[in-house]
Amino acid sequence: MEVGLDWAAVLIAALAYLSALFAIAHWADRREAAGRSVIASPTVFALSLGVYCTTWTFYGSVGRAATLGIGFLPVYLGPTLLMLLAPLVLRKILRIAKVHRITSIADFLASRYGRSPLLGGLVALTATVGVTPYIALQLKAVAVSFDALTGGTGLGTATGPFLDHGFLIAAVMALFAIVFGARQIDAAEHHPGMVAAIALESLVKLIAFLAVGLFVVWGLHDGLDSLFGAAAARPDLARLMGSEPALGHAATPGLSGGGPWGAWVATTILSASAMLCLPRQFQVMVIESVDERHLSRAVWLFPLYLLLINLFVLPVALSGLLTFGARLDPDLFMVALPLKGGAGWLALLAFLGGLSAAAGMIVVETVALSTMLCNDLVVPILLRTRRRALARSADLAPLLLAVRRIAIVAILLFGYGYFRLAGSAYALVSIGLISFAAVAQFAPALIGGLYWRGATRRGAIGGVTAGTLVWAYTLLLPSFARSGWLPASFIADGPWGIAALRPYALFGLEGWDSLAHALFWTALANIGTYVGLSLFDRPGAAERAQAAAFVDIFQSAPGAVRPQGEQPPDWRSAASVGDLTRVVARFLGPQRAERAFAGADPDERAGPDRLRLAERLLAGAIGGASARVALASSVPAGAVETVELLRMLDETSDVIAHSRELERKTAELERATDALRAANERLTELDRLKDDFLSTVTHELRTPLTSIRALSEILHDDPDLEPDQRQEFLAVVIKESERLTRLINQVLDMAKIEAGALDWRIEPIDAGQTLAQAVAATEAVFLERGIALSVGIPDRLPLVRGDVDRVIQVVVNLLSNAAKFTPSGGRTRLDARLEGGSLRVTVTDSGPGVAAKDRDLVFDRFRQSGDTLTGKPAGTGLGLAIAKRIVEHLGGRIGLEDAPPGPLAESGKGAAFWFTLPVADGEQERRQPWIGGID
Amino acid sequence: MSAAKGDAGRDPGSARYRDRMIGLFLLAAALFNPPLLGLFGVEGKILGVPLLYGWVFGLWAAVIALAALAGRTR
Repeated sequence: MEVGLDWAAVLIAALAYLSALFAIAHWADRREAAGRSVIASPTVFALSLGVYCTTWTFYGSVGRAATLGIGFLPVYLGPTLLMLLAPLVLRKILRIAKVHRITSIADFLASRYGRSPLLGGLVALTATVGVTPYIALQLKAVAVSFDALTGGTGLGTATGPFLDHGFLIAAVMALFAIVFGARQIDAAEHHPGMVAAIALESLVKLIAFLAVGLFVVWGLHDGLDSLFGAAAARPDLARLMGSEPALGHAATPGLSGGGPWGAWVATTILSASAMLCLPRQFQVMVIESVDERHLSRAVWLFPLYLLLINLFVLPVALSGLLTFGARLDPDLFMVALPLKGGAGWLALLAFLGGLSAAAGMIVVETVALSTMLCNDLVVPILLRTRRRALARSADLAPLLLAVRRIAIVAILLFGYGYFRLAGSAYALVSIGLISFAAVAQFAPALIGGLYWRGATRRGAIGGVTAGTLVWAYTLLLPSFARSGWLPASFIADGPWGIAALRPYALFGLEGWDSLAHALFWTALANIGTYVGLSLFDRPGAAERAQAAAFVDIFQSAPGAVRPQGEQPPDWRSAASVGDLTRVVARFLGPQRAERAFAGADPDERAGPDRLRLAERLLAGAIGGASARVALASSVPAGAVETVELLRMLDETSDVIAHSRELERKTAELERATDALRAANERLTELDRLKDDFLSTVTHELRTPLTSIRALSEILHDDPDLEPDQRQEFLAVVIKESERLTRLINQVLDMAKIEAGALDWRIEPIDAGQTLAQAVAATEAVFLERGIALSVGIPDRLPLVRGDVDRVIQVVVNLLSNAAKFTPSGGRTRLDARLEGGSLRVTVTDSGPGVAAKDRDLVFDRFRQSGDTLTGKPAGTGLGLAIAKRIVEHLGGRIGLEDAPPGPLAESGKGAAFWFTLPVADGEQERRQPWIGGID
Repeated sequence: MSAAKGDAGRDPGSARYRDRMIGLFLLAAALFNPPLLGLFGVEGKILGVPLLYGWVFGLWAAVIALAALAGRTR
């Protein structure tokens, strides 16, 4: 203070430093254009996040530490906590921003909540009002530190050749922001020059702070021990090293004074949400992010940066208080201490560090705010009020850039004006945390919009509005009152003397820290309105689709789902490709438009796909909400109403959201078609079988009929026939008639069984008796043919489940079959024995047997092997088929194997037909001793 | 501040990493706030530094180290 540096030298150093930043930014832009990006590095990304540390950190932390002890820390612990949640929250925001080409936090919220221009404008306005005074604070900090460095006095007015340092700084920053922040129209693209310069500035301010800290501790004092020892000797300083100023219950009112621990918690929460919601943080962290994998390094590197830059805050504060006492504003210790220690160059470095902090903040904040103001406030208004004028212009890019540049200049002028007006007023000093509290009003809608599908546009607008109003009442207006712009009684007695409305003790909530008090009431109003309105809202299809697109961002790959719906008829009256090309060219320039719609016929109807593409391109330039309105202007005047086109766009989003559903239904339909085709094939097969059956039956019936008819005709025509001959013919006629009858009976049986129309009397039956009956019925046939039939039935067989008549039919069929194929003089044997839980009956013959390949076929209808023996059908061909069906209906099995070699089949031939019948319930145990039979 | 090579390519979306970071967040949120933090507001020094000051920065550094390790170890 006593010996200042030459102000001209300091000014030249500052300008040289700023020029170096310009050069770095220019170099980074060139590298980017050459394809060798310098910002595609996780370290650069983490450093660029350091824009969080403004002069409020660089100078203000020391000031806070001088009154609060470790109370300056929550502002940095909050962001540390938020970064720990980066894999959960930030990653999702980054992905959404990339897919939807988000240009700012206002655009993010507007896009999430049904592309609402109202919400976007509200957020842009709130952010501008809340944050611009913060920019004023930066200008003031630079001006004041300049004065401290050069020994000037006052607020940095009228010491230079220009208006003052504040104005000079504002002008240079505006130039930088315009050159590197508002050069291209596509705001969703990156600003490599700006980011590179920010990262460098972060490095410079860190190095400056560490250098000053090291100098103070080891240059001015003899290390930490000595410094803290000296401070401990002074009771007023000793208390700064305890927890009482930050966490205790000191009753000093106000934001900068000591407060209860509510302030600690409130500051932590507010700074965490500011890390996410401050326009400049959203800009560097989300919009400028090149690769979401960079997050995993920033998660620890950025908190480490915060830790390092805060390491020497308390030592510097204590040293300053020891050196200057109450004679100097603690905010200036960073510059004053090196100056006092005779290290002018270090003081200059500290000044440049502070300048870096201010410059970084101002540039990024103005770029972010100007994008917001342009895309979410000016463009929607222009599009609504000056549609015809805009439609005449072929290229709107210069206009948009001009809007952004004017916004940058306007914001800085506003900030500068606030700085000149407010000066050292309380309203400016406390603006840091007040700004945090303002942007924190976006946090519920932002976080809720990521995870809660039911959150709606009205809820978000209501929440942000309510929260901002309460914020203005509990923080902004009282800060005006304390600056003397409103009567002091506003705080002490409430407006019009209504005690319940006192802004620091709303509704009688007394004894709270003013920040914690404001956080409580704003959160209550904001979240309450947001949740309440959302719960009772009925959003439209488009808003729901957009909500799902944000919440389920990781479920669907971007662009993978294409709308498949057919073009509804009213599309035909809407935009053509040529219209779209014109509107995209108007905002993004002709080259981009040509590239986007290359190869399409300009007269062709645009269709949903191309409309979506155009909307995406426009969103990157002017934000999601404006993009839709701009598209509406693409339609030839009078062809279709704006409202109509907006509705169509909504439907398009809807189609995309529901096309997944459509795909699912298509798959189901395909499965159903396959099933139908299989059923149809089976029906065709059954039809063919029925035809076969009919023709076979007809053939079987005709054979006996033919012989009956032939013989009958002979008998009829020839009355002189020999009696013997006549007798023989009549015998044949009788036999064939019997065969015919049998055949018809069997066909009827078969049809009944297959139709399930047969009357079954299933009950426990005496197996031995039943078998004996069947044998008795066929004994005559064997006798006639000269075949020896032997029977092996145990004395006492268990009861089996069956129908007596049907079982007899089966056994008779099998015995008749054996009789048919056993040559005269052969043998047939019937055996029965228990096997497992069933009765096994076997009919063995000494006939020719059945070839292995035919064994599965003999049980089919009309399969006869008889002709292999005699050359003509020996049976109806239905006997075995009927037997099989009866046995299976009774729950048994039927089969055929070679006759076992032995006395019965000397030739080694012969067949053994067998079937099983289940033993009746409760019979098995009682009959155990007879298992195996007694043959 | 030497940057580790390994973490740049790691997928920040892996469930294990995410869960660890949420756990670390809850731990840090508890430790960084008044009831627990206030316990260290007593007289005393650690390595020549007031106890509370040393404790807060030590804790902070430990949380950062754990955050860096969470993505690097299996």
